[in-house]
Amino acid sequence: MPREIITLQLGQCGNQIGMEFWKQLCLEHGISPEGILEDFATDGTDRKDVFFYQADDEHYIPRAVLLDLEPRVIHGIQNSRYANLYNPENIFISKDGGGAGNNWASGYSQGERLYEEVFDIIDREADNSDSLEGFVLAHSIAGGTGSGMGSYILEKLNDRFPKKLIQTYSVFPNQQEISDVVVQPYNSMLTLKRLTQNSDCVVVLDNTALNRIATERLHLQKPDFLQINQMVSTIMSTSTTTLRYPGYMNNDLIGLVASLIPTPRLHFLMTGYTPLTLGTDTKLASVRKTTVLDVMRRLLQPKNIMVSTTLRDKQSSHCYISILNIIQGEVDPTQVHKSLQRIRERKLANFIPWGPASIQVALSKKSPYVQTAHRVSGLMLANHTSIVSLFERTCSQFDKLRKREAFLEQFRKENIFKDNLDELDDSREVVQQLIDELHAATKPDYISWGTQQAAQASKS
Amino acid sequence: MSEFRIHHLVSELMKVLGTQGKEGPEVYTDLLLKNVTPYITTQVSSHSAKRKIAEFTKSPAEFLNKYDELKSKNVRDLDALVYLLSKLSEDKDVVSTLKDNSDKLLMPMDKISLPASGTKMSEEDVLELRNQLLAASSVASSQASEVFRKMMREKQAKKNTSLSLPVLSPWVFERPFLTGDFVKVSRPTIEPGIPLGTLPLGMQEMTIVHDLLTVMMGTEGKYILVRQSSDGSVTPYTFQVDRSLDTSLQELVNRILPICNNYSTVMHFIEDKSSFEFGVVNHALCGAMRTLVKEYNILIAQLEHQFKQGQLPLQRFWFYMQPCMQTMEILASISSSVDRGACAGGSVLSLLHEKTVTMIGDMRAQELCLFLTQSACAPYFEILEKWIYKGIIKDPYCEFMIEENEALQKEKLQQEYNDAYWEQRYTNCRERSPIFLETIADKILRTGKYLNVVRQCGHDPRCPNAEEILYTLKERQYVDQIDKAYQYASKLLLQLLMDERELVQRLGSIKRYFLMEQGDFFVHLMDITEEEMKKRVDDIIPSRLESLLELAVRTSQANSDPFKDDLRVDLLPYDLNTQLLRILSIESRQEKAMLHEMDPTELNISGLEAFSFDYVVRWPESLILSRKALTKYQMLFRHLFYCKHVERTLCNIWLLNKEAKRFTLYSSRWYAAAFALRQRMLHLVQNLQYYMMFEVVEPHWHILQDNLRKVSNIDDVLSHHTDFLDQCLKDCMLTNPDIIKNVSKLMLVCVTFANCIQRVTQTMNVEAEVSRLIDTGTPPKSDKDKDKQDSERRRTTTKVVSEHIEQLNASDDFTNTVHNFDSNFSSLLISLLDKLSLFSTANCEHNMMNIIHRLDFNGFYTVRLEKLAADRSMAAHRDEDLMDVGGAEAR
Repeated sequence: MPREIITLQLGQCGNQIGMEFWKQLCLEHGISPEGILEDFATDGTDRKDVFFYQADDEHYIPRAVLLDLEPRVIHGIQNSRYANLYNPENIFISKDGGGAGNNWASGYSQGERLYEEVFDIIDREADNSDSLEGFVLAHSIAGGTGSGMGSYILEKLNDRFPKKLIQTYSVFPNQQEISDVVVQPYNSMLTLKRLTQNSDCVVVLDNTALNRIATERLHLQKPDFLQINQMVSTIMSTSTTTLRYPGYMNNDLIGLVASLIPTPRLHFLMTGYTPLTLGTDTKLASVRKTTVLDVMRRLLQPKNIMVSTTLRDKQSSHCYISILNIIQGEVDPTQVHKSLQRIRERKLANFIPWGPASIQVALSKKSPYVQTAHRVSGLMLANHTSIVSLFERTCSQFDKLRKREAFLEQFRKENIFKDNLDELDDSREVVQQLIDELHAATKPDYISWGTQQAAQASKS
Repeated sequence: MSEFRIHHLVSELMKVLGTQGKEGPEVYTDLLLKNVTPYITTQVSSHSAKRKIAEFTKSPAEFLNKYDELKSKNVRDLDALVYLLSKLSEDKDVVSTLKDNSDKLLMPMDKISLPASGTKMSEEDVLELRNQLLAASSVASSQASEVFRKMMREKQAKKNTSLSLPVLSPWVFERPFLTGDFVKVSRPTIEPGIPLGTLPLGMQEMTIVHDLLTVMMGTEGKYILVRQSSDGSVTPYTFQVDRSLDTSLQELVNRILPICNNYSTVMHFIEDKSSFEFGVVNHALCGAMRTLVKEYNILIAQLEHQFKQGQLPLQRFWFYMQPCMQTMEILASISSSVDRGACAGGSVLSLLHEKTVTMIGDMRAQELCLFLTQSACAPYFEILEKWIYKGIIKDPYCEFMIEENEALQKEKLQQEYNDAYWEQRYTNCRERSPIFLETIADKILRTGKYLNVVRQCGHDPRCPNAEEILYTLKERQYVDQIDKAYQYASKLLLQLLMDERELVQRLGSIKRYFLMEQGDFFVHLMDITEEEMKKRVDDIIPSRLESLLELAVRTSQANSDPFKDDLRVDLLPYDLNTQLLRILSIESRQEKAMLHEMDPTELNISGLEAFSFDYVVRWPESLILSRKALTKYQMLFRHLFYCKHVERTLCNIWLLNKEAKRFTLYSSRWYAAAFALRQRMLHLVQNLQYYMMFEVVEPHWHILQDNLRKVSNIDDVLSHHTDFLDQCLKDCMLTNPDIIKNVSKLMLVCVTFANCIQRVTQTMNVEAEVSRLIDTGTPPKSDKDKDKQDSERRRTTTKVVSEHIEQLNASDDFTNTVHNFDSNFSSLLISLLDKLSLFSTANCEHNMMNIIHRLDFNGFYTVRLEKLAADRSMAAHRDEDLMDVGGAEAR
């Protein structure tokens, strides 16, 4: 059983998108909500053991750990059709049940306190796999549990499993609507530090962009969480499809991730997916003729990118560091080549000036059990320097609050901020460095940039 | 014959002839190629050619005689040769060159050895040669049949050592009076009685008719004496009729007498060719002739009866003889042709066929010939039927057009690097195939070959329309039947391979492993064999590797493959480059040089370099998946596998270095360069793999599959499959030694770089560990403390490592190393890209262009590439200039 991946779902948001993710995987592998393989799927050539393992009976059990500090969402799961899918031992709800109150510091301290219990589960799950490849963490960065406890778990995971990959699917808050969580900038900043230093690969899921896409592309008046989460689960499942349907290449997570992330800190990826449909509601989106070129071109259009940044800004010189397109469906490899040529000729994508970069294409099979209206669909995972605007926005919001030292009473109550607020400033510093590096990556002299910085630092 | 082969032969010939012509072989090759007309069988062209030569040569009569003689011997390709010679005689240049040559040389060499390459000789030479040969053969002509008999015997003895030919009892030869021919033993000449002339005319007639009847049955008469002709000409005997016979009677008798000669020839032929070694066709022909001779004998008996009744005057005798004379003449001419041409088997049939066709105006004669041909064909067609309906050769006298080479066993397919079994086990023997089957000879060969395979698989093929094949003048009928049999056989074998043996699925399975389609399996395999692969090849225990392979197969999705058990591990004693370069050098002159320089490197290669898959192939799949095909698969596999290994190594250092994201920003000096280089390497390796897998293997595989759906026989399957492999090898850049070397050097740089980084990181970690131990001397007190210390430790480690990097930076050592790797890698990559672009424009291999586009998608290398190209063209110009200058100076 090679290269297993353990999924950790944290907090309200993490558990909701995790739930949708597992629903999608079950559908694609022909596994019933009870974990039994459907009759039609008994002789499939897919690889289920990356994400599932088989119990002593015929049950397929997800390699998932569900963590939350308040019971609401997990109880929802336990009352759904998928209640029996998970290993009940892997579901952990804090006994206080009070949640983290949207407070990063509270989540972080609770994580510290619950460390033993949580890592008992994770260790057991890790021991259960022969050659663990890594962890996938699903959470949001703005709330309390996903961000605070998530940050703590990230740190600890990195300590305990230094050789394992840690990938996160991190939901960034919607900037368009006024949040009821006033400390959101603090939470985001503190989590961003951990994402920068303790995660190997962050797939950024920007609620702003997801909502925009839902209203613009799917013509939903008022998109609800379920619909947004379905979009997220599509992205999560598609990005793992080459692992689950083995082919020539990209059969391990590291192979996918390593080519996307040239230097360790530049590991924030944006995604795009086309053509988008919601669940079984295929009527909503008109069925188009899809070709490889069509799909690959659409993936480069900013309106399909699930991060709210300006990809094609005339003033700035933002560019792609790397692109991986996962194309599903009946694809003729020669079409891929032609499409790449077209994109190259039309200069549809700007690339970094300091190294070779191209659109990597991973051709993947489609699940035979899920009918889609489209012949070809594609997911783009891209490392683009313009993601910096997301961090800059967070920074400016953070700075406003920080200047006024607003809303910090709740933070000071917790251990980590008891003595001082250094942690906040430290985080700000780390994120600023990240921003600097991302800007530097748009310049041809990025490789010697570190040296210049060091020289300047030593001078001043 | 390909152009190159002709070129080669011509230059060889020129060497033999000692010509140092100015033009060199090219001119003559062109000439030959221009004049190649594949089939010059029409009488017209050969006639006109003949006439042309006759006009040209000094001794036309002689030439024509020789021509006729050779023609009568049924020499193949005679017309083609004559045609060529006539063409040559038109060409003044060639003639003069050759003349000069022949004057100069004036037969210093063994002329007999020349005709093998005898496509180019002046007609004088040829004639001279023919004279010689003829002289030699005429000397031997008296013993010719003996020689021939011996030759046949020897041939068959060589062939079937187990099955010895039955031998005729010696008394058959010892007793001279057994023959129906004239007895050759010299007897005391009987004194003729009264001279015939003295008798009255009626008596004379009676006596001479009586004598004629005796002589016609092969016994000497009283007044017609039989003498062996001494000049060795066409007629073996001369008859001396009593001179005193009435002249009118004598005239009539002389007209009848040739029949006796013909009879003698036929009888001699029948008796001679009936012995075993001449083969069934000759036997059948003799049998048919015997029935005709029997009719002839009956006629004689009837004539005698009439004679006894006194109703046979010579005139009537002459009248009765008419039809019979023609028959005997035809028989005799056939006999002598067969005899002269020393024919057996197919060539007898060709001869008969031609005779039959030429008799087209004469109904009776044609019928006769047809009868003979049909009878003679019967046993041959029996062999043919057995072959095309069952796939068996039963040919004890080596007459059949298809020759079986029993030394080639089908097991060799699995062992030897060639297709000898399929190509050479059964071969078409052109001299033995009857001329009327020549056009479909190939079809016949394949029909039997297919059935033979089916038979060897334990099936008993039964052709549903296995009817008896009869020779007819209309080709249509037997061609149709053979066609049907061919259709059936090809369908049967195709079904056997495709449906029963699931060839396509099997090829799919091989593709999974050898062309790495089953990616998850390889991830796992490389994980669990990592340690083994590092060892030296001698230290690896194959059985251990084998069991690991099995484990990888069972735990990956490859488990669902029904053919998975046929996969094996193979450890080859040489690495891929050696193998490739050797194979490529076979055809070039570097071979010897290669062999010398290669040897020492082979002694210690790692398991990884030696590793390859093998696949158990059973009969009859081994026809398609012969050792040759498997070796090609192995080469592809080893190349892909090595690329995968490099990718994996680079990914591993990615994992090792992911720590770095926590270092303080400004310490990232050295590794920014190292990371960028690693990224470029990874980019190269992944794109190379992508190109080979998705742009080479997959499209070619699709083409193969499409073709396999359409094929109608196994030879097509074979050729499509070979095409597939060759295309893959070519497009994976495994056919050009330059590019191979370049790619392998690139890979080597990648691996060395990865190892270097790994070493550095490890030493760093060890030092960090040591300093941590020094820093935190006291053991942790409680759990909480430990926790704190844990993160504390992390932080210290990070700090220490950063400090260490600072030190590294200070020394500049590492920066230089990375820089060296960088420049090395870049120059190699640029030269590869350059070679590829050159290669693709020069050879119209547009596929190669694709990889350049992939590797240089964002134009990162474009500037350097262009500079290189510019430099090259500059250099070329300079060279030209130099040449010009040099040329001018020389002038």
